[in-house]
Amino acid sequence: MRTSRRQFLELLGAGAGAAAAARLDAPPVFAQAAGPVKIGVLAIRAGIAAPVGTAGLRGTEWWAERVNRAGGILGRPVQLVVEEESNPKDTVERYRKLVLQDQVEVVLGGISTGVTLALGPVAEDLGTPWLSWDGTTQKGVEETMPSPKWAFKSVDNEVEAIVAGILTPKYFKGIKTVAGIGNDYSYGHDCWEAYQAVLKRYLPDVKFVLELFPKLGVTDFTSHIAAIQQSKADLLMCSFWSGDATILMKQAAAVGLFKTMKGVFTTAGGVHDSLKKEFTPEGLLLGYNTMYFHDPKGSPLLKQFVREYKAKYNEYPPYECDHAYFNAESYKAAVEKASGPAKKWPEKGPVVKALEGIEVESLSGRRSWREDHVQMCNFYQGITTHKNGYDFVTISPIEVVSTKQAMKPAGAKLFEWINGWKI
Amino acid sequence: MTPHVVNVLLSGVFHASILFLVAAGLQVVFGVQKIFNLACGSFYALGAYVGVSAVGWYADAGGPPALFIVPLALAGLAVGAVGVVVERGLLSFVYDRDETFQLLLTFAVVLMMEDAIRLTWGTAPRSTAGLYLAYGQVRLLGATVPVYNLVVIGASLAIALAIGWLLTRTAFGRIMRATADNREMAEALGVDMRRVSAKVFTLGAALGTLGGALVIPATAAMSEMGIELIVEAFAVVVIGGLGSIRGAFVGALVVGVLRSVAISVYPELEMLLIYLIVIVVLVLRPRGLFGGAAT
Repeated sequence: MRTSRRQFLELLGAGAGAAAAARLDAPPVFAQAAGPVKIGVLAIRAGIAAPVGTAGLRGTEWWAERVNRAGGILGRPVQLVVEEESNPKDTVERYRKLVLQDQVEVVLGGISTGVTLALGPVAEDLGTPWLSWDGTTQKGVEETMPSPKWAFKSVDNEVEAIVAGILTPKYFKGIKTVAGIGNDYSYGHDCWEAYQAVLKRYLPDVKFVLELFPKLGVTDFTSHIAAIQQSKADLLMCSFWSGDATILMKQAAAVGLFKTMKGVFTTAGGVHDSLKKEFTPEGLLLGYNTMYFHDPKGSPLLKQFVREYKAKYNEYPPYECDHAYFNAESYKAAVEKASGPAKKWPEKGPVVKALEGIEVESLSGRRSWREDHVQMCNFYQGITTHKNGYDFVTISPIEVVSTKQAMKPAGAKLFEWINGWKI
Repeated sequence: MTPHVVNVLLSGVFHASILFLVAAGLQVVFGVQKIFNLACGSFYALGAYVGVSAVGWYADAGGPPALFIVPLALAGLAVGAVGVVVERGLLSFVYDRDETFQLLLTFAVVLMMEDAIRLTWGTAPRSTAGLYLAYGQVRLLGATVPVYNLVVIGASLAIALAIGWLLTRTAFGRIMRATADNREMAEALGVDMRRVSAKVFTLGAALGTLGGALVIPATAAMSEMGIELIVEAFAVVVIGGLGSIRGAFVGALVVGVLRSVAISVYPELEMLLIYLIVIVVLVLRPRGLFGGAAT
């Protein structure tokens, strides 16, 4: 077992020289096996992505309470050690702290691409499983860590844009010109590139007439909307996923933008309950990513979660809850699988082996880890409707597209893969 | 004028109206107290959140939607009182210190306020649902314009005139200008600096909170919304001249309209263009267009 200098000093510092020397050879399996399972969680709780990070944390907490009520993992109660995800440098430090100082068994979380690109190599180096909620280790659309041992990554960033690209020609006939707006960082640009590539396959003559990339955190889009109106595009594609989606919708409604233009919001389902009926029209394509709270075919687990989430927070849960729930639940399943018939607490190595290809029931249904450590799940998109009991829009019909269809296979190059589709 | 030009200009002026209120708060405080108040963006965010809550209560109490702007503006103004707390409770201890301390302290207020907002209102964006559309739209030279945008522009103009009146026609305005011009002399002539400082800082804060409250129906409140705006407010005060209200007015118009034109013509240049103007002003007229006294 590799031991870092810090671990070594901590062990010495504990003043138990002989005991420490023994522990260096034998991993602390038996020492900890009776106490709680420490699970590290990295959550964004400040800034623009705070709602997303908070949803992930809430999903994890709900899972932990549920597991603890049922007796824990192999009889050990779960204890969450929560740290902040902020910038890459600080988050890497907190990750190290979780593993080296808190001695967690696994780290869950990670949303920002910038952060998870930095976390990937650190996770490999420290040899503790890291299951990312929503962060890939993609630079642009290219994977930087094709065969990690310890890192488990989210679906590729641009899957929702690919799904939207597939569904656009199905629901909006006669589209000739498209304008795009997204945030000015990798996610916004990647979504736009992927959406264009897919749409081009279905509608070879489509023209992309305008692209706007406002900074994250902008709260006034009236000037952008003026430019979109001027472009006279048939359709607007928007990959906003935070409060900016709400603001754009509101300001667009105020000038009647969607009276003449179709709209595709790939990711705005992340703030779905802020898309009030007063300003969100029917007939837009809206993406909820990997969990749709109002799914009539949803499992009893989903329904229970939505009910309890609403009761506790007075909100309806977004998809990040499900990423988080799946990560935690798959870890539990992998530990149980790796424990063997003796039900002995497994080491970390066998746990990651057990995670590969494992499938568990998550909030949104069955989800799994692909052999190359990428999440496999369904994406929910559909056409906005006012026919529901809420004051915000929902979708009907609901389209469910699997990552088997909408995510590039292991090792493939995104645009080569899209261009190779048989349509 | 084509509808597009109307759209671009009006969206620019709308953005400028909000920028002006935040920048004016910055200018009033700098002019008199020589403190560069980074927290003006936080006051803006605070006003926005309080505005959302006020309008929510108003709607729950069954108030007519057409009058929602009344509780909104009142709440925006009232929460400006937080300025007294910040000034008396924090800033008054560092007046004698180096400017760096004051800058750091106001930055600390920015961070604390963001957390306070998150603790109070949570992390999810807050909005006033469909009130933005309560006043409908008008057709102006072929363009569809939300009436509420015109209300915000009008309110901002009225506030600009009111500040002008306050500074030039009232006793307090004269004291403010005298203090801005020569603090020691004003003090020697019997001006109570503690009171002036508290009043001026509160006025600056109230301009920000009112701006935040007024804009909220058109947008959504996010805890970091102030930080985005303060960066643009910097550009406004550099172009207009530090400490000058007239400068804030012209600077806000320049930044707002230029930004809007850039987004329509060549969106990649949005930020570059604004800072190009900032650099040109700094090189050719380092004090800004109206730099100098606080008038």
